[in-house]
Formats: sequence, C-alpha cells, structure tokens
Amino acid sequence: MTEALIGFACIFGLALLRVPLAFAMGLVGFAGIGLTRGWQPALASTAQVVYETGFAYTLSVIPLFILMGNFVARAGLAHELFYAAYAFIGHLRGGLAHATILACAGFGAVCGSSIATAATMSKVAYPSMKKLGYSASLSTGVMAVGGTLGIMIPPSTIMVIYGIVTETHIGKLFAAGVIPGLLTALMLMGAVVVMTSRDSTHAPAGERTSWHERWAALRGIWGVMVLMLVVLGGIYGGVFTATEGAGIGAAGSFFFALARRRLTWRVLLDVLVESSRTTAMLFTLLIAATIFANFVNFTTMPGDLKEWITHLGLSPLMIVTAMMLIYVVLGTVMEELTMVLLTIPLFFPIVTALGFDPVWFGVLIVMVVQIGLISPPVGMNLFVINALLPGVGLGQIFRGCWPFVGVLVVVLGLLIAFPQISLWLPSLMR
Amino acid sequence: MKKLLETLCGALAGIALFAIMALTFFDVGGRKLLDNSIPGSLELTELLMVVVIFGALPLVSQRGEHVEFDSLDEYLPAWVRRTQNVLVHALCASVMLALAWLMWRSGNQFLEAGEITAQLKILKAPFMYGMSVLCGVTGLVHLSLIARPPQALREGEGAAL
Repeated sequence: MTEALIGFACIFGLALLRVPLAFAMGLVGFAGIGLTRGWQPALASTAQVVYETGFAYTLSVIPLFILMGNFVARAGLAHELFYAAYAFIGHLRGGLAHATILACAGFGAVCGSSIATAATMSKVAYPSMKKLGYSASLSTGVMAVGGTLGIMIPPSTIMVIYGIVTETHIGKLFAAGVIPGLLTALMLMGAVVVMTSRDSTHAPAGERTSWHERWAALRGIWGVMVLMLVVLGGIYGGVFTATEGAGIGAAGSFFFALARRRLTWRVLLDVLVESSRTTAMLFTLLIAATIFANFVNFTTMPGDLKEWITHLGLSPLMIVTAMMLIYVVLGTVMEELTMVLLTIPLFFPIVTALGFDPVWFGVLIVMVVQIGLISPPVGMNLFVINALLPGVGLGQIFRGCWPFVGVLVVVLGLLIAFPQISLWLPSLMR
Repeated sequence: MKKLLETLCGALAGIALFAIMALTFFDVGGRKLLDNSIPGSLELTELLMVVVIFGALPLVSQRGEHVEFDSLDEYLPAWVRRTQNVLVHALCASVMLALAWLMWRSGNQFLEAGEITAQLKILKAPFMYGMSVLCGVTGLVHLSLIARPPQALREGEGAAL
C-alpha cells in the first residue's frame, strides 16, 4: 500500500515540475517494479509492455478513428452540418446556439475527439453568432460544451482507450454512449432556452427557412449520414469489429474528402502526420500507464483499497457517486486523459467488485471527462477556443461555460441514477 | 536538421498509417463482400503500428505535444522556467536513450530466438531495432531542446480527447 502511495506522490511531484506525464508515469512505474521486484524483472517487463503495446492489431483502432475524425474535419462537412441544423431551428430564440449544439452532435457521430469537434465547429459557428450579435460568453460556452458531445456520441477516442485498458467491449461502449449523448444535447438546448428566456437580446432568433431549403440542406449532409450509419451501424449490428469499423470509417472519410476535392498532397500528408503524432502521444501515455499499473497491481494497494471501502459500509451507489465527485474535482485542474489512466487501476476493480457493469462505468467516465474538458481553470476545450478566437478573453469563455458545467453535472447525476439510459442499447446487441 | 527530421519521420509514420488504413479497408471489404481476405493483413498491421507510433514519436517531442502540467508556468520567474526546461529535457533524454538501449537488447533477444510473424514469416528483430533507433532519435531531440528556451504549448495541436 505505502509503495503505491509513494508512487502516486512521485508522479504528482514530477508532473508539477513539468515532466511530461508519460515520462513521469513510466519512470515511476519502472522504478517501483525495480525496487519491489528487482531490476532485471523491471527491465524485462518494461520492454515487454513497449513491444506488446506496439505490435498490437486491435490497438490500430486508435489511429484509425483519429484519422477518420481528421479527414472528416478537413472535408469541410462542418458547414453543411451547421447549415442543416440552422435551417430547422435557426428561427427559434437562441437559434444559432441550438444549431451549434445539434451540429456538434452530428459531427460527434463521425469524429471521436472533443477538441477536434470544438475546434472545427467554432470556425463555422462563431462568425455567424457574432454577426447576429450573440454575446461572446454564450457563443463560446456553447461551442466548448458542444464539442464535448464528440466523445460521448460514438466513435470516441476516450471510450476506445477505456475499453482497451479495462478490456471492455468497445462496440457496447459505443452503443452505450448514444442515448446519453443525445440526452446531453437535449439538456444543453434546454439550458439555452432557459438562459435566453430572460434576456434574448444577446441571442436573437435567425430567419425562418422554407421547407424547400430545409430539404436541400439535408441533402447536403447525406454523406455524413451514410458514413455514420455504415461505421456505427456495422459495429452495432456485429457486421464488423470496432477495429474493422474504424478502418472502414477512415477509408470512407478519405474517399469523402477526396470526392469533395479537399485533399491536396500537402493536406493529405498533414492529416496523416497529425494523426500519427496524436497516436504516438497517446501510445506513450498508454505504455507508461500500463507500466505504472503493473507496479500498482503488484502492490497491495488495489486490494487494500477495496477492503477499506467495503468496510466503510457505504452503499455501492454512494461509492460510485463519491468516485464521480473526485473526478469532477480533479477534472478542474488535471488533464483528463491522465486522470483516467492514473485512476482506472484503482477504481475499476472496486467498481466491478461492487457488481456494476463496466460499460455503465465507462459512460460515467466519459461524462466526467466531458465535464473536466470545460471546467475552468484547466479545460482543454476552453483553451482551444481561446486559441482560435484571439478576440475573446479566457475570462469571458470561463463565464460562458459555467452554466453548461452545471448542466453536465445534472446529466451525470441522471446517468448514475438511471443506468438504463446507458445500458438499454447495448443490451439489445447480439 | 529540424526540417529533415520532420520530413523523414513524418513520411515514415504517415505512409505507414495510410497503409494500415488501406490494408484494413481492403481486407475487411474483401472478406465481407468477396469472401477473400488479404493474407497476413493482421500481422502487417501490427508491424506498421510500430512504425506509426515510433516514427511519429520524435515529432511529438520536437513539438512539445506530450501531455504536461503547465498551469504553473505563468506564476514562475523566467530563471526557474529555464532551469526547469534543462532538467526536464535532460530527464526525458535519459529515459528515451535508456529505452533505446533496452529495445536494442530486446531486439538481440528476438534475433537469437528467431522470432517471426506467424503467417508471413517476417523477422521481427529489424522492427525492434527500428524502435530502438527512433527512441534514440527522440532522446537526441530532447537533448537538442535543452538549449532552446521553453515555449508555450500549442493548444489544440495533436488533439487526442
């Protein structure tokens, strides 16, 4: 128990000194194994983790989904999605904000990254909102929180990583995210209605679109629909595995970008290299987290923790709620991916021992990551939007996103209280 | 030097990634539609994955895209940041160079054991040596960054979440 606690303390210490977290975790894990089991086993197991994680067919699901998202982002689909959403609900009060949320949800169905969704949609939605006189805090808040739909609505990089680390079925995780994702979108739109009901001057309605134009706008997004149906439908229906689906999706979005004449050699290479870099960054974290988890699992900490928690006499639901509270608090200051990778070796065995469904817990994890991505002071989505819109200060963005953090926390509560929201769709899978 | 590194590593990782995509697409397409898969496509994907990950690793380090806790930056005086930069990159360089040595050693073991892939009988050792070399290059990148003044992270680049 003590060794593992010292290990965690060392990682936080190194992280505060600005050592990249992958290096901190790997180094501490290696040293921990070396000190407790001997240096030769430490060397051998480290080498093994590195090449086994490298030579892994199933893990190719990660770069393939990243590639799919990046191709889609470059294919210029965001405009069509936004326009289609606007055509249907733009004439409502706060219509552009509603359209942004809907378009983000649609984009999230072909992209597994929250940051990419926020970045792509903000380039499209912000100019329109600014033109109509939307306040900076409302428009940036909507874009930041809309982006997080990208990781709840499948495909989702964080779900894939959770699935790999905990050996949970990725297809089921994807299915489990659909209803929570749509529910979140609805709740966010509800929040926009409430926020604009008192004072609609900062979110005026747009013009009504004719039905003729609406159908035309829908025709503009048929490609996204087909891609989404083939990839997600294929995985859900058991036609192919998540890895195969990712390959089909990546190739599909490549052909798509090609057909829309968005791909020059330069852009193609950019997309490929950018996706490879993200992959390399993720795999260093994944390898390091595995080395560290190997150390922690060898100590008595997971067992001790499990025993201590069961002796507390709390109800299982209270324990999960407490975990989620810890995540929400940690998420305000920590980078979310590291937060998940560091805590999963401790929390996951407890959750499964309490008899909870790993798929359900996965959805909760995605939800706390969503919350963490938009909760100040450290929220990646906020920083991305800040970097893309130099005219808007971080203070305004922070103010704009607080109400939405509240909405996401409410959704988290609903997901904890009603596991069926997450588990109904996967339960229908073969 | 930097340009050369970006071109070489970028091309290596990028082409490997494209190959994985094409391979998976044609393999799955062939299997589902024509009942005819590409022999050994799983193994090829595994080997190519190593190329993608370790080929792009020097670029991740070069661009400072590793996940770091940088929230304290604005509160630290410049000299602390400079010292921190030297220490952190020295540490990262040692880790990567040590890993390069470790992977080379494992490569030797693979060669001695004659490890090959199951279907296509491709020797795995060269890929281990490749991993080792690219880890070494990443270590050198960190060494070269010791001299460079610390930069702010380019937020949103290499977005993973």
